[in-house]
Amino acid sequence: MSNKITRTLNTISMGVAAGLTMGVASGVNAAEMERAGFVENATYYRDGVGLSKFRNTIQGEFSKALDTSSWSNVTINGTLRGTYDRVYDLNDKEFGKDAGEDYLGQNWHPRGAATTFIPGPNTTILSAGVAFPCENDPLLCRNLGGYMDQDENDAMFPEFNDELDFIRELYIRGDKYLDNGDVVSVKLGKQQVVWGKTDLFRVLDVINPVDYSRHNIYDELEDIRIPQWMVTAEWRMGSTATFDDSNFSILWNFDEFRPNNLGTCGQPYKILDAGCFFSAYINLADLGAPYSNNVPIIHDVEDPNWSLSNTQFGFKWEGVYGDATFSVNALHYRQQLPSLHFRKHPVAALAAAGLPAPDGVFDIRFPRVTLLGGAFDYYSMATDATWRIELAYTEGEELPRDTNGHKATSMARYVIGMDKNLIIPALKARSAFLISAQLFGEHILDHVADMPNDEDNWIATLLFKGWYMNNRLSPQIIIAHDVAAKSTVVAPSISWTPDNHWTFNLALNVKSGGDETFAWSVAGTETFEPLARFTNGPIGVANQEDELQLTVRYSF
Amino acid sequence: MFKKTLSSLALCASVAVAAQAAPISEDVIQQSFYPYAKGKPTAASIQPGMVISSANVDAVKDYLDPAMYQFIKNGDTEITVSDTMDFALHDSYVEATRKYAGDTRLGEKIGEIEGSEAGRPFPQEPSLDDPRAGEKLAWNYKNGYNWGDSAAIMPFYWKYRDMNSGKVERTVKFNFHFLNYTHRTQQEPYPAITPNPSNLFRGIYVQVLEPFDIKNTQLLIQRFDDDLKRDNAYLYLGFQRRVRRLSTGQVTDAFLGSDLMIEDFEGYNGRISDMNWTYKGTKTMLLPMYNHNNLELDTETHADDDGYQVVAFGGKGGCFPNIQWQLRKVYLLESDPVDPNHPISKREHYIDAQTFTIPRNITYDRKGDMWKSWLIGQAHPDYHLPQNKGTGVSIDDSFSMVDIQANHCTTGQFKGIVDATLTPESKMTVQNLRASGA
Repeated sequence: MSNKITRTLNTISMGVAAGLTMGVASGVNAAEMERAGFVENATYYRDGVGLSKFRNTIQGEFSKALDTSSWSNVTINGTLRGTYDRVYDLNDKEFGKDAGEDYLGQNWHPRGAATTFIPGPNTTILSAGVAFPCENDPLLCRNLGGYMDQDENDAMFPEFNDELDFIRELYIRGDKYLDNGDVVSVKLGKQQVVWGKTDLFRVLDVINPVDYSRHNIYDELEDIRIPQWMVTAEWRMGSTATFDDSNFSILWNFDEFRPNNLGTCGQPYKILDAGCFFSAYINLADLGAPYSNNVPIIHDVEDPNWSLSNTQFGFKWEGVYGDATFSVNALHYRQQLPSLHFRKHPVAALAAAGLPAPDGVFDIRFPRVTLLGGAFDYYSMATDATWRIELAYTEGEELPRDTNGHKATSMARYVIGMDKNLIIPALKARSAFLISAQLFGEHILDHVADMPNDEDNWIATLLFKGWYMNNRLSPQIIIAHDVAAKSTVVAPSISWTPDNHWTFNLALNVKSGGDETFAWSVAGTETFEPLARFTNGPIGVANQEDELQLTVRYSF
Repeated sequence: MFKKTLSSLALCASVAVAAQAAPISEDVIQQSFYPYAKGKPTAASIQPGMVISSANVDAVKDYLDPAMYQFIKNGDTEITVSDTMDFALHDSYVEATRKYAGDTRLGEKIGEIEGSEAGRPFPQEPSLDDPRAGEKLAWNYKNGYNWGDSAAIMPFYWKYRDMNSGKVERTVKFNFHFLNYTHRTQQEPYPAITPNPSNLFRGIYVQVLEPFDIKNTQLLIQRFDDDLKRDNAYLYLGFQRRVRRLSTGQVTDAFLGSDLMIEDFEGYNGRISDMNWTYKGTKTMLLPMYNHNNLELDTETHADDDGYQVVAFGGKGGCFPNIQWQLRKVYLLESDPVDPNHPISKREHYIDAQTFTIPRNITYDRKGDMWKSWLIGQAHPDYHLPQNKGTGVSIDDSFSMVDIQANHCTTGQFKGIVDATLTPESKMTVQNLRASGA
């Protein structure tokens, strides 16, 4: 979709919201507007690299209640955010348009068969990724248009774009009380809609795409979900003869589709190093005749046009039954991670030999997906702990593989979580410590051998958090381990809140792993590029991103 | 002859319903609900209007709990005495007591009770000879009139204070809501809200309005009519936009970093069956109960269109409310946790006999040392907000929880409103947490 159309849609959406606002506002009494916000500096130092983040953020939130005669609890809510990351000025050798690597994946693995000298032509198969293609390579910029086509300025000021991302949220909501005591609640506007009960990983929480370029998987999802223009309608039935609470909600995401932001090559955080892979070439020297130029990895990015049939929708039924809370979820949406579709050479004989089209190896697509799932949590008196289960089954997803780039497969994902509070006298805290453990599992139902992802994989997480000085000093440690990738992240931190305004957070983020290889038929042997990035996952691929992180926030 | 026949018939009828207890006598009702009808308590050393300070506190030591005595003795605070007021509860609650208390009895285990539909379950005077007298007092508190059938505290300011320096470290602004599902006596519907499939007894809903870092944190506690069943508690964290179940560990944890556990709310906020209860006697004592409109109030913390102002605080570290105390009939009750891993060893509760509120508590740590002092000032509803007049609710109006060992305190300033429209049943649902937080 062109930027012009995007802008038009945004204008229409804002017009709808403004119109509704004015419609509600006519003849109503407006209460005072509530305002809050913060300014923040996040300074991160990466081992061996130097400064990796010098991000300055200002965020403001407001809420204004309106009294209407027919609806209750009507409010207009907004969250605005602006970010300026000065790392591109302060460490321009490592990040930004002039950043460069000797070979693809230099930031996470040694040279391998696809990226080093091989028998034959005296060069490599895959070139290094081009940092910020729109600053350096018009062909790649065009090919990646609409997806990874931001320039350095866009990365420096990520919210100020055609999608008006500085509007984190802007919505109007209200409740209608029915005669039988039920409530119908409607929320319209740019918003985040959160499903599920899992931390760090997304099983049901897939409605909003996510901006991983902000800080990989480590920022709160609240801060990295990309808000979408949506309407939700909820029918709250309250308690019934069977359930203590019962609610049915429908969701319509009528915004233009946006994929996850994986980070552009040249940014400090580019999950799976996908941004650099997508801005790489297959070198001409390896291809030989009939090719006359390097062949870009990506030929085009499918950018679904806005149409009614392209919008996304879902429903959720949730409630409380005795000691258990539950939800049943269904969503028809679009995969937010890119799927690579191999493009054969137009000459049949060359196509039969497996050669790619000369103007690009893959197209990026985002297939439609149908999700069915549910969540459940239960407090167990026997263990004095809360147990959480979340499940999702999807049809239509496409996962990477060696041949053809992708394979459509059904997927099953699940999380089992346990939260327990424990007084540990030896640690001399008046408060209980929070111990939260999760096991995230993924099963590929239509697995084939040339997929870099295992048929079954698990990631385990552990959070151990304590509080001292009336919760103003809070140390914690998060550990996550990816079983298939054999990669681990350990993230200890300590947060100090001296008063109502200031918060200081000092953290370490140390990763290991990233050593797994995977066969790529073109290279003819086990190697890192390009498929092992999927095997090693977001933790393993970031194995050289050990960081010391200081965040200072002033809230107002 | 006719009279004799009628008496015989009445006797037969009472035998026919077998174990049905004798109705509660009016004397018991009067003594329980109107203890000052025949005269207010007096003490030779205490007169209305006097100020008790370190200079004269020894003369009134018998009328103060040990923690309060020590604070005054140390010079941490002074208290002003006022005349004893009649905090009469709402007639509907008294009438429900007449109707149901005669059929109420304890079950075999702690936490089991039969026949307590509404009203005060055990209005009879407690006896030191009754081994379960303490448990009965605990039930009178739990099924007490407290905030009535529903009420809200909007807003509710908590200040975390360093007692040595007086520095206010944090100010948290809340809304609190209370709703009784059962044991209702005044607000429609009564005695119970239906449907109520899990047989909930009470809901408490808490929402944080400020500061920014914990804004929209919400807590929902659902207590069951069956006391043997653990509460369901849910926490919504604004930054996660997700409802999390709480384990009981968090109920005895410092709530949002304050000096209070969730279990401390209102004097005791837990199950009867979580504690062993011991009645220690009845005394005349000074309790923090007062006429709110007669106080010198805090002009800075809260400003309102209706001119309402919250209670001011002073004394050491600003940890003590500037209120008035009065002589009251008090039941002394001790509770010690059943769970050996509970963070405390016992609480001493000083229960106001007329209202069955708990204006004073002293908490002891696991070693048995005095740890925390709880004070919750009770305001007479007729001298408070206009809408509270005539509600018969003893209004929780100011609190102070002093951590004596850490020299730290949390203070609370209330705007308590008895108004059913502020706390609809929909407020007490898990879904409301999500809807209000987003």
